[in-house]
Amino acid sequence: MTKSKIGTIEAIMLVLTIIVTQTISSLPREILVSSKSATIINLIFVSTLAILFSYLMVKLMKNFAGSDIIDISEYLGGKVFKNIVGIIFILYFLVSSSILLRNFCESLKIIYYPMTNIVFIIVLFIIAVCTANRLDFNASLKTNLLIVPLVLVSIVFLFFANMNKFVPQRIFPIFGDGLYNTFILGLGNLSAFGGITFLYFLPPYLKEPEKMKKIALISIGISAIYLILCVSTLLFMFSFFINTNEIIPLYNATRYIEFGSFFQRLESIFLLIWILAFACYLSVTSKFAMGIFKKLTNIETKKPLIDIFGILILGISLIPKNYAISDKFETEIYPFLVLGITFFLGISILLLANLLKKKQKNITSKSE
Amino acid sequence: MKGEVILNEIVKNIFIFILVVLFVMAFSSSYLSLSIDNLAYVLVIGIDKGKDNNLEVSFQFSTASKASETGSTEKAPTVMDTVEAPSLSAAINLMDSYMGKELNLSHCKVIIFSEELAEEGISEEIYTLINDTQVRPSANIVVSKCNAKLYMEQTSPELENLISKYYETFTNSSKYTGFKPDATIGDFFNSVICKTCEPVAILGGISTEKPENQGNNHIQENYNVKSNQTPIEGENGSENIGIAAFKDDKLVGELCALETTTFLAIKNEVDRFLVSIPDPDDVNSYIDIYLYPKGSTSIDVDTSSPSPFIKVKAGFTGKIYSMSNNSQYLDPDILNKLSETCNKYLESVFSDYLYKTSKEFKSDINGFGKYALNNFFTTQGFNDYNWLNNYRNAFFEVQIDTSIKSSMLITET
Repeated sequence: MTKSKIGTIEAIMLVLTIIVTQTISSLPREILVSSKSATIINLIFVSTLAILFSYLMVKLMKNFAGSDIIDISEYLGGKVFKNIVGIIFILYFLVSSSILLRNFCESLKIIYYPMTNIVFIIVLFIIAVCTANRLDFNASLKTNLLIVPLVLVSIVFLFFANMNKFVPQRIFPIFGDGLYNTFILGLGNLSAFGGITFLYFLPPYLKEPEKMKKIALISIGISAIYLILCVSTLLFMFSFFINTNEIIPLYNATRYIEFGSFFQRLESIFLLIWILAFACYLSVTSKFAMGIFKKLTNIETKKPLIDIFGILILGISLIPKNYAISDKFETEIYPFLVLGITFFLGISILLLANLLKKKQKNITSKSE
Repeated sequence: MKGEVILNEIVKNIFIFILVVLFVMAFSSSYLSLSIDNLAYVLVIGIDKGKDNNLEVSFQFSTASKASETGSTEKAPTVMDTVEAPSLSAAINLMDSYMGKELNLSHCKVIIFSEELAEEGISEEIYTLINDTQVRPSANIVVSKCNAKLYMEQTSPELENLISKYYETFTNSSKYTGFKPDATIGDFFNSVICKTCEPVAILGGISTEKPENQGNNHIQENYNVKSNQTPIEGENGSENIGIAAFKDDKLVGELCALETTTFLAIKNEVDRFLVSIPDPDDVNSYIDIYLYPKGSTSIDVDTSSPSPFIKVKAGFTGKIYSMSNNSQYLDPDILNKLSETCNKYLESVFSDYLYKTSKEFKSDINGFGKYALNNFFTTQGFNDYNWLNNYRNAFFEVQIDTSIKSSMLITET
């Protein structure tokens, strides 16, 4: 995998993949429910924090040039700690992608394939992922480079096409459920920036590692704008997402796009783009999960892992008995996973590793 | 070694073949269920109150094959069937069985509720329809003054061969007459849940009752008509003039043509409309003026006291449409005088309409609540003000600024 290096734009699109997939699913609705009319203020607040966080992260990783979080864990706590951190990240990638896949397939089943067993819809994605993973890492990245901008453009189009139905006054009352809810409890919406997780693993793959800061800031900045566009579309168009739960909230917004009596029912195009984006996301996350596994086990090639990881994703996605359980995971457990692993575990490792390095430097300089 | 490679290739191909067959089988059921041969496309749903708390649901279908056979000069026939069931979903299920095809609502253009049913509340039916993936949010909602089934039977478009085309365009005139709103199920659902507004529907009816003394009526009477009471006679037995106003999901009142125009003008949903204002020089005659909104209506809501105070400011430019002998529409003084008369007339019409929604309907169908939102810092503060119930205590100030520019082709006679 390290043979194929990632360019700056490819890396930015890679980080955006996670937020794109999450917004297709239930993320915008969850943000709206938690912050109500203060959603946009809350998003500006958490976006600023996410940018500061990624800046801090890049600063801390600078002392470990060319190393990812797994290498840094080994430096900090030895092989055992490296294995623990590696397994946590593998599980995080597998479980989160599986449950997001299950929820997306449940929605596809409701909308287009009412008579088809959900297993077949999920297997279609697994086949696509396994096929993509057999190709070079660059193949997935290049596809990602095409699809993610397409999704971004589609969301901008969605925003402007529905503008005539907006009620901008819904931004008021400006503080929603109050300052405490907006700025303290609203901190939970940092989980929307799960894409930061990829930043921990990027350094060994970058063509120009010195551009890490640029990649982090631009990708989080675009994520913030993208998220604000998605949530604004729903906030300004509908009064009901705060009280009513609907599958794929953005799909609901696409159904309102009409240009005269000729251009109608554009939601199918949106769904097609989102399906492609989802396949890209699965391919990228499973590749990173396999990369970590390869690093932990020192195996030569990851080819034998492709089908095993595919079957694991299929298996995990079939665990929830129904949509209610998988939705509960996505809305109630997944945000804490992101906060815990990306924003707490990752940064703690980096901070401690930096302290250790400083300590070792001091000892070396004293002994000299 | 070579044999092993060939064997692997054969096994791989067999595996791919089995996989393809499996997927064809798995997805074919979904595609078959959506095949045009297995579907009956519903164009209109009419919902009436049936016996023993049941619903009487009527479905109007298009018959695609007959439509193509009849050619372009003849009207495409439609089929209408009615079923009585305890719920809308049960009615659809029963009709599926009767038709031998699955009912598909993806081309359903209009949903009609009878006045009797709407007065009792229609939220259950609205929620069921919105929950259906096939129903478009752009489907129009009509509340019929008569039986919904009768309304459907009487609807016979004169200028369209396809009834679906008629239903797709029948609300277009709202933009230049202001006599009916383009009320859709998506907006209705949004308003039922909304805490700052109440829903409306198109008021429908059939041409049965003709107003008394027809022909001797004052010109103003033409603007006070609504469905079931219009002086229209034609092949199309149904008519859609006015608004059905709701409080939550229950019908609470009706608005006539002029009030509907006012509603649309306040909501900035009308491009132009015709009004008849009293002639300042002759109290017995009226002048028809085409009014064009100057910009968006400005609305200011003061919630500092328990009774909301709502200021409505609207501006129009006007062109004189009716002409008679001795018309002097190049004289600036006459135009100013007309503008002032128009302002007074519209202020009175707007004011009457607003107090009707507040005191009589007790329903904020204009959605003034959204303009009150910025008076509060938190949602709790707005909820405590209890806007939707407090709207009945509202009082209004209306300011109209009309500038009548000229007449049309003829300026002086």
